[in-house]
Amino acid sequence: MLKKIEKHDAFLLAVIAVGFVVFGFSTTLTKITDFIIFCIFVLGFDLLYGHMGRLSFGHMLYLGAGAYGAGLSAKFLSPDPLLAIFFGILGGALVGALLGPILVKTSGACFALLNLAFNQVGHFLVLVPLAGITGGEDGISLNFSSYGLINFSNLKFLFFFSLAVLLLVTFLILKFVHSSYGIFLKATKENELRVQFLGYNTFRFKWLTFVFSTAISGLAGALTVINYGYANPSFIDPTRNVEVIFAALIGGAGNVFGAVLGGTAFMSISNYLARYIIRWEMFLGLVLLIIAFRFRKGIWGYLREI
Amino acid sequence: MPYRAPEYFQDLIMLQTILHGLTIGGILYIISIGLSLTFGAMGIVNFAHGLIYTLGAYILFAVLTNLGGSFILGTIIAVIIAIPVSYLIERYVIRRLYGESLDYAIIATYAVLLIGVDAIKWIWGPRPLPISDPLGITLKFFFLEMPLYRLIIIGLSLLIFFGLSLFFKKTIIGKIVVAGLQDQEAVRSLGINLNKYLAIIFVLGSVLGALGGVLYAPISTLHPYMGFHILILCFAVVIVGGMGNLQGTALAALGLGLVMAITGRYYGPAAEAMVYVVMAVVLIFRPIDV
Repeated sequence: MLKKIEKHDAFLLAVIAVGFVVFGFSTTLTKITDFIIFCIFVLGFDLLYGHMGRLSFGHMLYLGAGAYGAGLSAKFLSPDPLLAIFFGILGGALVGALLGPILVKTSGACFALLNLAFNQVGHFLVLVPLAGITGGEDGISLNFSSYGLINFSNLKFLFFFSLAVLLLVTFLILKFVHSSYGIFLKATKENELRVQFLGYNTFRFKWLTFVFSTAISGLAGALTVINYGYANPSFIDPTRNVEVIFAALIGGAGNVFGAVLGGTAFMSISNYLARYIIRWEMFLGLVLLIIAFRFRKGIWGYLREI
Repeated sequence: MPYRAPEYFQDLIMLQTILHGLTIGGILYIISIGLSLTFGAMGIVNFAHGLIYTLGAYILFAVLTNLGGSFILGTIIAVIIAIPVSYLIERYVIRRLYGESLDYAIIATYAVLLIGVDAIKWIWGPRPLPISDPLGITLKFFFLEMPLYRLIIIGLSLLIFFGLSLFFKKTIIGKIVVAGLQDQEAVRSLGINLNKYLAIIFVLGSVLGALGGVLYAPISTLHPYMGFHILILCFAVVIVGGMGNLQGTALAALGLGLVMAITGRYYGPAAEAMVYVVMAVVLIFRPIDV
């Protein structure tokens, strides 16, 4: 069903925009802003998982790096929100660039667990040794300044800004995936050895993609901090890694629109369903099992087939 | 020489630190065996192992407080309950994951962990629960102080190490599994139903995981998410020791236990982070491909 529509990127981007505006204004605006930011994070994660075939079990580290990059710049440099976003992206990209050379050489379980191990170390660093500047367990609360029309304490502005960023990121990843670079990425996912035989340096491309993914995660972290007005260790908590994996899977890994759909679906489950189902973690586990055994292509993949 | 006493004292405290490290290493070893075997033989990263571990500790708690039983009774019941639970996990989750991509194995076993942890929260509540030292005896030797319970853990882990070495060398099941770790195809082509033996080994590993939970409970506190925590440590042990390599797992557990204790002596909060640093260094120099 979706196979034909899928080619019209502009149409689908418009659907995302209209969908979120309708969703946002018919429910709570701040909550939907949160949904949008989470979708950006899923997009960053899925670039690595769906498109490059590397499951990271520690992507919260890069979200956290962005969150603390933004939070610390707002606390110590200036409360400028745009500067905070810049430092958020920089934080995610920097951590990714530093760990990348070690991480992208590995694959499979090794990649997943190394990410998790680094996430543990990052969580620990924020919690204890750097507690003097990060505020440890309590985190830091922040006030962002505003100038002119750019006023992040205005909920509507924040909502539309996040939506614009989401559309921009979606558009960029689409361009990225459809370029010759994206085809290269797909080839690396299918069979890396053969790509190497063709004379390409796969390491550099994987590293670059990894940094791209962590930078997007950092951007999501910075926006989260601006949305909540604080940064605390829950943004870098390794036990929360399953959220983004689940979102990418339920939407359909390896597809930009699937990632947005999955992010929205996950946030809807955790926000609305949790009200009706008390044991929602158990529910999440059951859905994950069903996905892993029967429903591997996710919602988007399923809609494509019918 | 009155002023040489402090140096002696330091040495003795170091010895005490090493003994603590051996305790942690012993427990890590007992828990990691199951992980190492499933990882090595089936190529599955088994997050559900953390559930069995947590369950063991909580059943001990239930026996101690609700039934008023003794520690040994609690241990036996916890181990017995681990058998059917792990069999069910093997039958309905792990067995379907043979030969599948690794990502789905991680996701499916993590889902089992989520379901189980939520069930534990349902039954026992989300708050941490304490279990006290069952012996309460502390041995003293000059400046050296060591709870007897920890010494028993060290002894027990040694016993398990030698028991397992015998099991894998002398019994037919052990030999088949060792052969299976080397070359599955060859074992299957001999007409041996390897899956059956892998199931037995899975249950054995899970029983040891539950035992690890029971043994660790009095040293730490019970918490629904305790399994998640220890699991990552044990993955580090398995990766450092080499998957499916039992001697390697034992050595790695011992080494990382000592790393934790010695780091903890100088800077307490960094004890666990140091383990991951060691693991990262090992992976950089000896990457694994699964």
